[in-house]
Amino acid sequence: MCFKNLPIEFDASGQARLKGGIADPYSFSVSRPEVGMTDAERETQINALIARNGHVKDLNMDPVTRVAGALAVNVTADLDSGTYLDARSQATLFRGYEVIAMGRDPRDAIFITSRACGVCGGVHAHASAYAIEMAMGLAPPPLATVVRNMQEAAEMGYDNPLHLYLLAGPDYSEIVVKAVNPELWPLAEKWLCPGEKQHGFKTMADLMSALNPLTGELYREGLEFTRLSREMFVILAGKYPHPQTVCPGGVSSTITLQTLNEYHSKLGRIFDYAQRLLAVWDDIPEFFYEADERYTKVGSRPVNLIDSGFWDDPYAYDATYANCSEWGDRRWSTPGVVIDGKLVTTRLTDINIGWEEFVEHSYYEEWAGDRYETDELGNPLSPHHQWNKRTLPKPTGRSWKDKYSWATSPRWDRHTVEAGAYARLFTTAMAQRRPPSDLIESTGTSLKLLIPKGLTAERAVEWTIPEHWNAFERNRGRAYHYVFSQLVGFENLLEAYKLFRSGERRVSAVPPSELDKHIPTDERRSVGWWGAGRGWLSHHLVMEGGKIANYQILTPSTINASPRDPWDQPGPYEEAVMNTPIIEDVSDPSKFTSIDMLRTIRSFDPCMPCTTHVDTGHGTIVREVNTCACGAD
Amino acid sequence: MPDTPSARPVTGDELARVATTSQRQTPAERLLEVLGPVGRFHDPQELGDFGMPARAFMEDYLEPFAKAGPHSRLGPLEKVHAFWFAGMSCDGCTVSVTGAQAPSIESLLLGAHPGIPRVILHHPVVNLESGPNYLRAHEAAVQGELDAPYVIILEGSISDETKALETGGYWSGQGEEPWGPDGSLRTVSTDEWVARLAPGAAASIAIGTCATWGGVPAAHGNPTGAMSLMDFLGKDYRSVLGVPVVNVPGCAPVGDNFTETVAAILYFLQGFGPLPEFDELGRPAWLFGETVHRHCVRGAYYEEGDFAHDFGEKECLVEIGCWGPVVNCNITSRGAINHAGGCMNAGGACIGCTMPGFPDKFAPFYKPAPGSSVSTLVASSVGRIIRPLRMYTNEHLNREVRWDLDKETPTAWARERAEPGPLREAGHKVYDVLRRKGDRGKNGGAEWGKRPEPAEVGDPALEPEVPQQTKPKDGSD
Repeated sequence: MCFKNLPIEFDASGQARLKGGIADPYSFSVSRPEVGMTDAERETQINALIARNGHVKDLNMDPVTRVAGALAVNVTADLDSGTYLDARSQATLFRGYEVIAMGRDPRDAIFITSRACGVCGGVHAHASAYAIEMAMGLAPPPLATVVRNMQEAAEMGYDNPLHLYLLAGPDYSEIVVKAVNPELWPLAEKWLCPGEKQHGFKTMADLMSALNPLTGELYREGLEFTRLSREMFVILAGKYPHPQTVCPGGVSSTITLQTLNEYHSKLGRIFDYAQRLLAVWDDIPEFFYEADERYTKVGSRPVNLIDSGFWDDPYAYDATYANCSEWGDRRWSTPGVVIDGKLVTTRLTDINIGWEEFVEHSYYEEWAGDRYETDELGNPLSPHHQWNKRTLPKPTGRSWKDKYSWATSPRWDRHTVEAGAYARLFTTAMAQRRPPSDLIESTGTSLKLLIPKGLTAERAVEWTIPEHWNAFERNRGRAYHYVFSQLVGFENLLEAYKLFRSGERRVSAVPPSELDKHIPTDERRSVGWWGAGRGWLSHHLVMEGGKIANYQILTPSTINASPRDPWDQPGPYEEAVMNTPIIEDVSDPSKFTSIDMLRTIRSFDPCMPCTTHVDTGHGTIVREVNTCACGAD
Repeated sequence: MPDTPSARPVTGDELARVATTSQRQTPAERLLEVLGPVGRFHDPQELGDFGMPARAFMEDYLEPFAKAGPHSRLGPLEKVHAFWFAGMSCDGCTVSVTGAQAPSIESLLLGAHPGIPRVILHHPVVNLESGPNYLRAHEAAVQGELDAPYVIILEGSISDETKALETGGYWSGQGEEPWGPDGSLRTVSTDEWVARLAPGAAASIAIGTCATWGGVPAAHGNPTGAMSLMDFLGKDYRSVLGVPVVNVPGCAPVGDNFTETVAAILYFLQGFGPLPEFDELGRPAWLFGETVHRHCVRGAYYEEGDFAHDFGEKECLVEIGCWGPVVNCNITSRGAINHAGGCMNAGGACIGCTMPGFPDKFAPFYKPAPGSSVSTLVASSVGRIIRPLRMYTNEHLNREVRWDLDKETPTAWARERAEPGPLREAGHKVYDVLRRKGDRGKNGGAEWGKRPEPAEVGDPALEPEVPQQTKPKDGSD
């Protein structure tokens, strides 16, 4: 492992340290961006084009619907060349959850921060519990971790179909395709679906009709299955989206044999459905690629992905930072960072110290001073790292040069990275850390999954690292992630039965009356790494004097919706839109719908409610590009 | 690409002037005074199909599927628009509503719920159209030109946008309108939409604890001045039908509580349902009239003074921080979704998420409510008497009559308790005598329809005397 941009090297034992001889190692200045032109150049060019040409449109899509939460995207489209010259992603909501969490009793954190997001409230409650229990030194008993894993598999079982059928699906439905891609419809009527045996639709046209919003069979079935998975969630956690049974050091769920049996009895239907869902989202990309090769470019961007890992090994997880890279490696889904298609690390400490968050273009004030130079293991931290970051909201007027979003710009090793459920497929497949089971096996380039028999016979499927990285592959990856997550749920259910057989019923580290005693009065730092339906999730915490001194939430959609960073690198949505060709027929400019952009944006499964917080470092600097000189790992 | 200020920064003078009158004004009126009236709207010609991937509005697309004939409709309304606003929300209420099944969201939108008008939902998470075209119906409503009555639904708190305007920004934006200086586009806050549309709405409905009572965004230490819809519109607010703000609380609410309330209002408007009853805070009284403890599946543990002291235990959760006895909610009886789950049902202590005092009056969590020490002491004292009596009777009821006569339970399963000795048995006898007191079956006289035969098994309460045969006892009685 080595950092390309941050001034960090590793000694022979793998310990990270700052490189010597750099006076101000984390300083940066605005420099020419690595992608395309600078902001100023681009703007000059766009203004000139708009002045000269009627075919360049500058349009703000506010709100972008069928995403969770408030998102607007401003695009400059050149209808002649069929390109998006510019894109600006704007998170248009701030609620201040981090600010509200600060100054509170740490026992409040789980239920308060759960409310950061109602699309994925369960994952925030869990991330918060991880952060709190690391600070308090409470390691959950195995059954607690198993129950958490089962809950969170069920949450993915709701989340992924919700996106695929309610949010993204209509963009591939009959009514949309006929309206914006009429040339595709006759092809769709003739195209025989390879997945017919699984999903039951003979032609792509049949399948597209079933995707029609509200009236289509797949849309309504998707909605039904989000409900079934939520039933699985609430029998363990009481309610959804904000679970009532997550506590520091475990869960408060009353787990009886009935609980396990009910969960079990719903899984059979889930597996039948999983085969169908997978076949639908396997067929859609193949049809589009075959119909027009340009679709491989829709939503494309470099394969730069990050994930914190998901679903802990109940026998490895010990709630310590010191051992995080070890227990992280044992997760069902392996933590990792992929840069340009290569897995660069799986260690949670490396992943942690690579993060910085900037507010150059966000409605926050810079903060002064950094609190920590290193983590507790001595690994260097940037002044813009979450443990050093403060949340200082300042709503101002929108300016593309200055501030235009409530989202911040998180960057890892100063790369623009992308979060997503599919990032788990990449890291888990590439890392091969988790020993193969009967149901899940990673091969280095693929993930082999065995869907057990329900009413449908069992079926082996395989997700292979895709040749193109684009909107279609994000949706396909999400479908495979659905299968992956349900298999994790099943494996954890079997683990729960095993624990029951051995008489192990404890679900929390300490009883509630003793939580108080475990709240440290000295200064503690901690982090909860967990996963959301749309990828990476972390809660960074500083506790001091027994209360929360700092709370920083880093969500997948903050990462993906981020505005430009200090080096003018666009955020993932922005970059993907700018790489998207305008394929729809725009010979009549008034007919321009921007569907290609919408397919791109929605493929990320934006979830804006929890996107908005934070802030960053001062001024602008020149980015130091450090040549890698580290030997270890 | 022009920079577009979200709003003209408000000068100190203007705020001072507004502040002097703010005593009499609601926050909504104050906001509209700061922003001033609006007259310009998007030009549909100029918008073209931008953000309209189906080249059709959701309403038009669904009409052939959803429109009912007059005989299925049962009332005067053919359709109702519903503008859903996500203020300072987490979208959790939306998610809850997608889980509702009584009625479901798709049945409301497709007119598949007999008797009610079709609901034209304008919801940012659902609709086909995006961008300014999504806001076309909103604009029509602001101008009073919408083709049917509308309701507004707010999810999430109202923020204090005047605070954000001081620095020229916004907290919660939804769309842009040409309402800036010289007709320039500016971000329109959710609050502004609500302030402009509430007076003309047939009903204003707050869903979830943020919208009903401020909720977590309004918790101590919040930077945004968040408040509830009631706080924002003031106590004199009435919809055009004369209804104050309707509140369906919960964080997140049970989805069915919301869809059922909407349906109940529509049944009434259609003329076949009764007038729905709301309590003094505008909550549907039939859903929130009881404390959640009264229907709690663990309530009887409380009655018997049996309390959980560790996470995961099956007993009443009051001593580990459950506020259920003093919280208005129905989740323990209705379940969270499709009658499954429910906080205490699954082991979660109630933290009062449906209440106006949430979250600050319930924090820190996982800690018993101070008042519970008194009530649990009383319950424990009473429970100490009730519980053994119940166990005693339960023992008797767990025996066939035949086993009583045989003095033996022929079970091969490990049996924890010995057969009852003479003392316990005598007590059960007394119990049976009391039970059969007044039983007309004991009356004399023949049963004409049957042949007199010796009963195979006697009823011990009718047996004249205790059988002579006795088994060796371990004396545990």
